[in-house]
Amino acid sequence: MSVAFRTIRELAADIRAGRLSPVALAEACLRGLETAGRRLNAVVTTTRGRALEQAARAERELAAGHDRGPLHGIPYGVKDLLATGGGIPTTWGAAPFRERCFDEDATVIRRLDEAGAVLVGKLAMVELAGGMGYRQPNASFTGPGVSPWSAAAWSGGSSSGSGSAVGAGLLPFAIGSETWGSILGPATYCGVSGLRPTYGRVSRHGAMPLAWTLDKLGPLALTADDCGLVLEAIAGRDPRDPTTSDRPYRYDGTAGERRFRFAVVRGTVEAAEPAVRASVTRALDTLHALGSVEDTTLPDRPYEPMARVILWVEGAAAFQDLVEGGGIAGLTAPEDRITPYARDAILAKDYVRALRLRGVVAREIDAVLGRFDAIVGPSRGVAGPRLDAEFRSAIRGGVPDVLGAIGNAAGLPAVGVPCGFTDEGLPVGLQFLGRAWEENTILAAARAWQAHTDWHRRRPPREPTL
Amino acid sequence: MTDEAEILFALIRARYGARLDPAQLADVRATVAGIVRDVAALRAAAIPDGAEPAQPFIPYRSDA
Repeated sequence: MSVAFRTIRELAADIRAGRLSPVALAEACLRGLETAGRRLNAVVTTTRGRALEQAARAERELAAGHDRGPLHGIPYGVKDLLATGGGIPTTWGAAPFRERCFDEDATVIRRLDEAGAVLVGKLAMVELAGGMGYRQPNASFTGPGVSPWSAAAWSGGSSSGSGSAVGAGLLPFAIGSETWGSILGPATYCGVSGLRPTYGRVSRHGAMPLAWTLDKLGPLALTADDCGLVLEAIAGRDPRDPTTSDRPYRYDGTAGERRFRFAVVRGTVEAAEPAVRASVTRALDTLHALGSVEDTTLPDRPYEPMARVILWVEGAAAFQDLVEGGGIAGLTAPEDRITPYARDAILAKDYVRALRLRGVVAREIDAVLGRFDAIVGPSRGVAGPRLDAEFRSAIRGGVPDVLGAIGNAAGLPAVGVPCGFTDEGLPVGLQFLGRAWEENTILAAARAWQAHTDWHRRRPPREPTL
Repeated sequence: MTDEAEILFALIRARYGARLDPAQLADVRATVAGIVRDVAALRAAAIPDGAEPAQPFIPYRSDA
């Protein structure tokens, strides 16, 4: 039985029906990561010993009637910025840290352990989560991430391997992180679903800090429904991350048919490149079948400069020793070796001004979102940048990304789902951006979208044999 | 470049110039110019006097 491109729910049903063993499933995923995964530059380290031990335990427990839930026996990978104990390196995608090990697992990995999931690999990422200012895909010591959809296209960053491993059907889900665009970007370019949770929903303990007030961890999977299953396992208060919330989270995947209220922020679709604009415009037409779609406007604010200043200052502080000590000279991307120096130019009062504006923006956007279930728009304004060329990035000021800037600076949840293809066959994504703590609402909307369309069931040209 | 950008670039060149060749310095200079444009946009944004930084600080007690 092929296990490629099977959702968590499908695999869980196969396991419980005795059609699939967790050990055989883990073996298949390990094989896929070690072959196709390497070709896509999606893998840093496979965790074979740990994976087979966890899979065997899952098999024993399920046989004994101890069912930990839908992730029990399901393989997954994590972006290599999540700490792992047991001598498994955690490299942050950066050559200077390629041998570095931590003593214990990140909270997210511990929670997935408790849910019975099976860690099969540490996945490739843009060095230091892209926070140094990279502007082309070759920005990791594992090489540029390759899209499963084209050997000439980038998988996106910074959760490159998380996107491409799921998009190539090598894993049912993976964990990524987003400071600005790092889950929704790879989800888009690799043709999968990606969920950026509300800031504080998921513990960051054990994750590489890039920008303390912007970093979020979340799943990439084949469907929005699977993203919800994973979120339930990893969400919740963690005393080791004081920014986590006491709000409980239970994924509601059973919500019946309902009508949604969608808003489109004027200018956000128009700002996308033509191929993306065309797909997203068609998607917005289709959304009328699921509810109302209204144009709306936002106050005229410097959203992208606000988010950039917060990201740059916090990133400069997080890596102060590496930058000032000259350690960035060991990074892969030439621009990552020099751009961070420029951030000394930002004055403290301007950073505080950005934080003050963030509070104002958070209230204004909440007032807008209070009237809708979600704001919808392109997940990314461009499709599949070339592997060998510079790309334009909102983080560097090259392209507008109002929804990304607001969503990340205000800590709002968003789910990105496939919504079409360019003429070159590269995936395009649609995002549902929600009010804080409304993951269930945006996941319900994304599920309804995926029940109504089949973009998420399209497969890349070269399917792996798992 | 604005005067502010030139002054800030001079600071960076003084700190790190020995590590950078002319092409890299030109790249850093362009990045500083972009930062100054962003900061100018932030300074021009109206923010109510009472708007505090959206940044949590929680006093710590080990038994709390």
